[in-house]
Amino acid sequence: MATKPIEKDTNVFVTGNEVVAWAALAADAQIMYGYPITPQNEIMHYWTRLAPKYERRFLQTEDELSAGFTTCGGVMTGTRAFTATAGPGTILMQEPITMAEMMRIPLVVVVQQRGGPSTATVIYSQQEVNLCCYGGNGEGFRVVYSTAGHQDLYDYTIKAFNTAWKYQIPTIVLGDGYQAKMREAVTMYDPASRGIEMEPTKAFVGAEGCPGVDREPRFYRNTYNTEEELLDVVGDLKAHYDSFKDEVVEYEDSDIDDAEIIVVGHGVVSRACKEAVKALRQAGYKVGYFRPITLRPFPQKQLAAAAEGKKAILAVESALGQMKRLITDGLYGMTVPIEEYFKPGKGVSSQELVEKVKSMLD
Amino acid sequence: MTMDRIVEAYIGEYASGKSENAVNRALTLAKQGREVTLVDLDLVEPVYTLRPLISLLEEKGVHVIAWKTKETLGLGEAGSVLHPAMRWALKAPGDVILDIGYGAKGSAVLNLLEGIEDEENLRVFLVVNTLRPMTDSVEKIIEYLYETGPAHGLIANTHLGEKTTVSLMEAGLDMVKKVSAETGLPVVAMAVDERFRSDFPEERNDGIPLRFLHRYLPKGFW
Repeated sequence: MATKPIEKDTNVFVTGNEVVAWAALAADAQIMYGYPITPQNEIMHYWTRLAPKYERRFLQTEDELSAGFTTCGGVMTGTRAFTATAGPGTILMQEPITMAEMMRIPLVVVVQQRGGPSTATVIYSQQEVNLCCYGGNGEGFRVVYSTAGHQDLYDYTIKAFNTAWKYQIPTIVLGDGYQAKMREAVTMYDPASRGIEMEPTKAFVGAEGCPGVDREPRFYRNTYNTEEELLDVVGDLKAHYDSFKDEVVEYEDSDIDDAEIIVVGHGVVSRACKEAVKALRQAGYKVGYFRPITLRPFPQKQLAAAAEGKKAILAVESALGQMKRLITDGLYGMTVPIEEYFKPGKGVSSQELVEKVKSMLD
Repeated sequence: MTMDRIVEAYIGEYASGKSENAVNRALTLAKQGREVTLVDLDLVEPVYTLRPLISLLEEKGVHVIAWKTKETLGLGEAGSVLHPAMRWALKAPGDVILDIGYGAKGSAVLNLLEGIEDEENLRVFLVVNTLRPMTDSVEKIIEYLYETGPAHGLIANTHLGEKTTVSLMEAGLDMVKKVSAETGLPVVAMAVDERFRSDFPEERNDGIPLRFLHRYLPKGFW
């Protein structure tokens, strides 16, 4: 048996894609299935460089459909497995993700968002929120963690495996091209040293004994014959999701109580929001910060509580309103105005947010 | 061809600091009044690394050979085209600094340059940040050198971004010195973020030259 990839806390200087590969190793993932697409390529590059050293495996498939389905297949044998993709790859990945939703397969997908529509840019955007949260056909359920940097990528990649296996739900780690390629210092650790126990995996298929004779047969189905049957199945999926979503929901906030305006951003953009709020507070402006970490389930109650009685919410994103749609849905019935700061496919700096908020308050 | 012409290629692990070292070296030479050509020899992700810096570098007197966005068609995934000017880069007058992209088999990419076998001034330097996980021990650095070399010398470039300390940089240099002792490759320089300038003497006791880096790449891409 190869040694543990991370024995003790290690401070390293890394790119976000590398962090994901190391986190998956530390989380005891056994195999990655993947198809190359920028900006996630180095997740695969580093995984393939590291895998032989730690007795892990890799399969390059012919496309993202296949990468997603082979990951589902690997998971069904009881193997902690994952895949990674971006942009048009995330579109193709929807079909395997929906199968995982229907069959409750603990599929882990890392998405590094790039610009769209279509091939567009390989660089950066936050335009894959719709796809990652609600991109499937039917109305399946999934968990989406939006990370804001390298430590997040490490922490939430590990967490994604546990959420997926604990609740048997497809789980997405939503990064972006900036996080993928950016270089930052990170502390890599053995999950056990933080009291994180990896959820045990279990095989869906290949159980001992003859089905129907020694044990109940297991049916894993993504196809149903009648409307009545489907109504029951989707109802059960919803009931399961509702039973745990409050445990999974995560968010971060600050300076809410006396704030007149709440700046809301997710992912890497939330860093600019946080810095802007800090600068504005120092300048005497009453501004608060809210960052949804889980985009699905969305921290609706927490944001509604924060927004209560405020002058406005400022939704900031590198997209044309994909996060704002989640906010609007979550705050339905409240009268707080939601203002927009949208830059599809382009980064947002704290300085421009400071100016924007000042223009709203002065 | 004069002997005092400087031709240096910077190779190293992804995100080891190759471009930052190459850009700073080119600017240092230009500042000395030398004629300098900087070549972005990244065949995996051309266009990105130096693109936002081209005009700044040219203003400071460095001639840059790199793809310009408008000359390309959505490169990024499949960009494996060598710019014609890169092939002939060694024919440029004056000094030539070559920034070798990652994943391009390191110094092997130099074989694409016309006249490389006759270039007696060529020096290939491996840039090493010992806080990069793939090059964090003497054994791993030597293993990496076998994959990416050959090289003529080592540049100690250990840092942790915003969290860099002098002791981390010194520990990194110590490790690179051990690689030097085992391989016989000299430590050409210790690269240090210029914000630590006051923490270092004019000349080190161990005689290793210091190269203070101004960080340009945060303005660049990837």
